[in-house]
Amino acid sequence: MSEELSVVGKRIIQPDAAAKATGAAMYASDMKMPGMLIGKVLRSPYPHARIKKINKSKAEKLLGVETIITPEDVAQWQGFDRGLKDLPMVAGGYLVPPEEHVLNERARHFGDAIAAVAAINEHVAEEALELIEVEYEQLPFVIDPEEAMKPGAPQISESAPGNIGKRMSYPFTEGDVEKAFGEADCVVEGKFSTTKQAHCTGETAAAVASLDSSGKLKVWSQCQLPHLGRREIAHIFNMPVGMVELINPFVGGSFGQKLSICAEPICIALTLKTGRPVKLVHCREEDFTSLETRAAFRYDVKMGFKQGGALAAMQIYMIGYAGGYLARAPMASAIAMVYGLGHYRCPNRAGEADIVITNTAMGGAFRGFGNPAIMWGIEQLVDEAAEKLGIDPLEIRLKNIKKAGEIANMGLTLESSYLEECIKGGAKAIGWTEKRGKKKEGKLRRGVGMATMTHSSGAAPLYLEHSNAFIKFNEDGSANLVVHPGSPGTHIWGTLSQIAAEELGIRAEDIHIVTGDTDVTMFETGSHASRSTYTIGNAVLRAAREAKGQLLERATKILGVSFDELEIKDRQVYVKAKPEKAVSVAEVVRGSIYNFEGECLNISGKCSWESKFNSPPTGAFFAEVEVNVKTGRVKVVKFVTAIDCGKAINPMTVEGQLEGSMQQGIGYSLTEDYVINKDSGVVESDNYDNYKMPGILDMPEAEVIIIDKPDPKGPFGAKGVGEPGMVGVAPAIANAIYDAIGVRIEDLPITPERILKALEEGNQ
Amino acid sequence: MKQIANFIVNGKPYEMAIEPHMLLVEVLRDELGLTGTKCSCGIGHCGACTVLIDGIPALSCLTLASTARGKNITTIEGLAEGITLHPIQKAFIDYGAIQCGYCTPGMILSAKALLDRNPSPTREQVKQALSGNLCRCTGYVKIVDAVMAAAETMKKGGK
Repeated sequence: MSEELSVVGKRIIQPDAAAKATGAAMYASDMKMPGMLIGKVLRSPYPHARIKKINKSKAEKLLGVETIITPEDVAQWQGFDRGLKDLPMVAGGYLVPPEEHVLNERARHFGDAIAAVAAINEHVAEEALELIEVEYEQLPFVIDPEEAMKPGAPQISESAPGNIGKRMSYPFTEGDVEKAFGEADCVVEGKFSTTKQAHCTGETAAAVASLDSSGKLKVWSQCQLPHLGRREIAHIFNMPVGMVELINPFVGGSFGQKLSICAEPICIALTLKTGRPVKLVHCREEDFTSLETRAAFRYDVKMGFKQGGALAAMQIYMIGYAGGYLARAPMASAIAMVYGLGHYRCPNRAGEADIVITNTAMGGAFRGFGNPAIMWGIEQLVDEAAEKLGIDPLEIRLKNIKKAGEIANMGLTLESSYLEECIKGGAKAIGWTEKRGKKKEGKLRRGVGMATMTHSSGAAPLYLEHSNAFIKFNEDGSANLVVHPGSPGTHIWGTLSQIAAEELGIRAEDIHIVTGDTDVTMFETGSHASRSTYTIGNAVLRAAREAKGQLLERATKILGVSFDELEIKDRQVYVKAKPEKAVSVAEVVRGSIYNFEGECLNISGKCSWESKFNSPPTGAFFAEVEVNVKTGRVKVVKFVTAIDCGKAINPMTVEGQLEGSMQQGIGYSLTEDYVINKDSGVVESDNYDNYKMPGILDMPEAEVIIIDKPDPKGPFGAKGVGEPGMVGVAPAIANAIYDAIGVRIEDLPITPERILKALEEGNQ
Repeated sequence: MKQIANFIVNGKPYEMAIEPHMLLVEVLRDELGLTGTKCSCGIGHCGACTVLIDGIPALSCLTLASTARGKNITTIEGLAEGITLHPIQKAFIDYGAIQCGYCTPGMILSAKALLDRNPSPTREQVKQALSGNLCRCTGYVKIVDAVMAAAETMKKGGK
């Protein structure tokens, strides 16, 4: 197939890159409108406190202050439902009680929003915040979820007795785990924990809102689920959906954080109160302390193997950290179990999770959504079992990975899997046989380790997988493609252009993307769960196919042959058997638009696509580390990610996603420590001076291997690739550390302190 | 109390009234509308606000505007000549070194300062020169590739 492709598979540059390289790209933070006010938010300095009184009179008198809003000013609006209304209720239900409001009269975490100001500029707005007098009644608080579950712990939510916001069960329970553990030859178990990880998007949360004279609300939003974001905004502000227009400008990074609306609600409230355009941009500290982070977990995993290495049983119990309000932590916990228990072939599986409310910022979605957290433990236990059974870590995985045609993690058919190729290719690239298990001595000790994963392309059948695409031809033979993925820089515009261009026989640069405005685009679930290439791509492919059909139909009249005899390539419609007999695409379109024979037609195609299948990408991760046994410092020397993401629509984009994931994974593994002071509830890691995301010097020698074999269901064989590269980084590093120094680290991140402590305990 | 200040930005002189506490990033973004310069952390740790002052990279979120009076300031908007992109800009596009784009202006300006003083850097020297610029999207691999490629183009006098 690939020989015939002329656009797909090529390293095509991105349509939005030039705007970003020249500074012309307009982000929400950059916007300016006539009469625009600047919004700022007053946030709770306490993790749990009731607002007894707010005196805003001094602040209101400040020159340049337009309005100040407090919880009583927003009482007519609804609590956040996270846009989940009407979405499927699998896995025990994801619906969350709408307890978080635009502003909150009881702060449930440090940084919770209490009041807001709109003023003529940022300096005035900040000065006004200083002048607002708040009388707080500090309440007992709890930071640690296990403490929160104990009797007598401070109660945070009315709807969560014992602070348990939700109990989730693994939706695909199978077999009899107790019996299988009893019959297993080797049982391994562990207690693992993961940390909250901050998204650290380049652009902080930002929004602009304005109201037109008809009462219609326009919001420039970073939301990566634009139509669901619009729906949630309409819900919160009691507006019909049609009266809200959500526009995505350029977005400076997202990574799952912008599944939720972030700066939007307060910005909109200020616009509705003043009638004027308002821009609200977070400072970095607000992003750290008030937005959803990667959901953190503490969990027990137990795995039972048969002699020879076949996996017989798996059981998980998780505690998911919800934070002050239930947001996406319940879903993240359920999906973590889905990924974790569904990766290997295993006849007996069970899992339960408690989602616990604490006085911290919320746990939410971040690249991988539960998969990196759960594979952190599972892939370490698989290594432990391999050691006990005397099998190479590679071999035990090759024995247990699923093959195409088996049932995949989300209960649908595993359409394709080239994980075996990933494992073998990655092992070769890292030098597995030469380096693994060698004797180590001295201060600097090297080791190699690996991990595997299965992710998903979208979340069918667990979530709404509805995409739409519309394509219309222009008389120059180019086409407009109307789609609405999130646009945080994932190269999805280019990817979708390549899919459309390939099907239409034109060049990628002939596709002009129209996107980012919910009034123009048709419904779109949006960009999450590595779904955009796969699901929106399938909609684009089918819309293109329809447009192509119309084009060929018209060409039959010009070329005087039947439909089946025609093909399009290089912007020409030609007769397959007689390629010199041809007409240009532009000419066919022109003749249809400027038609004086009573047959006017703007050639176009449309597809409403609901994905009934899900082709999970798979991958293997290999790390070579160097551990300094004196200081406890771990350096990743080399990292290899081998990915089966089906056919790579644009290999450069695929590499970019995997290299970016590698960096975020290394940060998650080693340095990104979200620290909350247990005594005060204050978030101490609130900017880059005390939260270390990897810089350019922290990156190892990076190698990406793309297997590049087509999947039967993806557009031109593509599967998702946005998140998978993050999933196995941490366990591969942990397994490499074990190879280097013989100790296991169960808690993320792997700090020097933890290494030294483990070495000390190991020596005793 | 506002003061009159003169700046040379991207080769053009400007005279404006500024507050003494104003930061260079505010003058560029809010007063001159040069929003290509980004502010991401506000404390000088991420490099998104990097501009060149007399050819040297500077963090405009930590620079008082009044200290840059009379100096030559280069922002990302000053790199292209008309619609012809600077070779570093072109290489960032061609090598897929841009994802969300928020760190890109600062990255490109740090790279320009490097290549202006060292036309043939090693990959290691590129990394050192960009170590003050954080990127959350790319993993930096393609950024280094792009700067190395731009160096080659610039040595050949290419545009």
